[in-house]
Amino acid sequence: MSSIETLSFFYLSTGFAVGFGHCIGMCGPIVVSLSLSRKDKSLWIPHLLYNAGRVTTYAVLGAIMGATGSFTAITANIAGIQKIVLIFAGILIVIMGLAMSDWLPLGRLFGDGYRFGRLISGGFQRLTRIESTIAYLPLGLLLGLLPCGPVYTALLAATRAGMETGSPTAGALIGMTLMGAFGIGTIPALLAVSRLAGIGWLKSRQLIYRIGAVLMIIVGLYFIVNAWRY
Amino acid sequence: MQKMPRTDRRPTAATLGIVLLLLILGVYPPVEGHAAEKYQHLVNCDLHQGTCSQRLQETDILLEVTPRPVKAMTDLLFRVTLVGKFASPESAPYIDLGMPGMNMGPNRVLLKSSGPSSYEGQGVIVRCPSGRKIWQATVTLPDLGVVSFVFHVIY
Repeated sequence: MSSIETLSFFYLSTGFAVGFGHCIGMCGPIVVSLSLSRKDKSLWIPHLLYNAGRVTTYAVLGAIMGATGSFTAITANIAGIQKIVLIFAGILIVIMGLAMSDWLPLGRLFGDGYRFGRLISGGFQRLTRIESTIAYLPLGLLLGLLPCGPVYTALLAATRAGMETGSPTAGALIGMTLMGAFGIGTIPALLAVSRLAGIGWLKSRQLIYRIGAVLMIIVGLYFIVNAWRY
Repeated sequence: MQKMPRTDRRPTAATLGIVLLLLILGVYPPVEGHAAEKYQHLVNCDLHQGTCSQRLQETDILLEVTPRPVKAMTDLLFRVTLVGKFASPESAPYIDLGMPGMNMGPNRVLLKSSGPSSYEGQGVIVRCPSGRKIWQATVTLPDLGVVSFVFHVIY
């Protein structure tokens, strides 16, 4: 097996391991929230698109860092964007949590025919309604920028691997490949979470339903507060 | 019997509650205050002040990280110095960076000889968005064993 194949497999298995140990905590609430917007439609394709977007962002970051050999400078440059993405994700989760509850008019967000445009601007309305399956792809692209420790670690190693090639082109290629492998490795954990959100053995458990909405709002607020501190 | 159509979203919502509850009780960062206390007793080193030392098989292993104070997401120089019985091992030591109780992915700092019984290497301590600041540098001497330095990092 060649070096890049060995490294790719290592990144794939690393992504798999941290996916179940870490990504579920960070991205799990987002994944579950997104499941709600599907109503009774299939979850597989949208979540695969979401993950494809996320992995693409990782691969692009890997390519940039592999080509430039600069980890700290690039992460410093995108820190502001990551903060905005973190706030955005928090707001998204809060809105979806409110939508789950029936305490506010927002609770009808996911009801048939309800128009949300008077309350929130058109752009966000489109995003939270997510009528189109393809919308999950750009959402994944964006949320792939969420600050994440294991992603940083993988990017750091991809940067080193890129530097060792001695060529920006080869560095970009190896950075992209390794981060792509890492991202793919994280997919099973997030798909598992999305499937958990689809099982139906807890029908009509009002109390748990309410708790779910409250926890979702808390998690979303935590994202926003964390972004403020970041 | 005719199958009843599914008319609401409660099953998904109910499951969501369970999933989120598990996340918060298990791995989710909102319990960071608790996590910080949980691992505080492991801290055995203040790298902001200077060199830290651990003893292994009649050999002192000194770890120094510069520049100080030690900040995440910056290029850092890790220096390991060996003093004592096994101060000149055949294989160079290396450092694995991680967080107690959280899988941050493999982050290894390879060290090269920089003088008699002294080894150096560049590395980065990444930032955990959860806000946890207790990190662990596990120094492995292939012929001797492993020691861990647990310390605070500035974000």
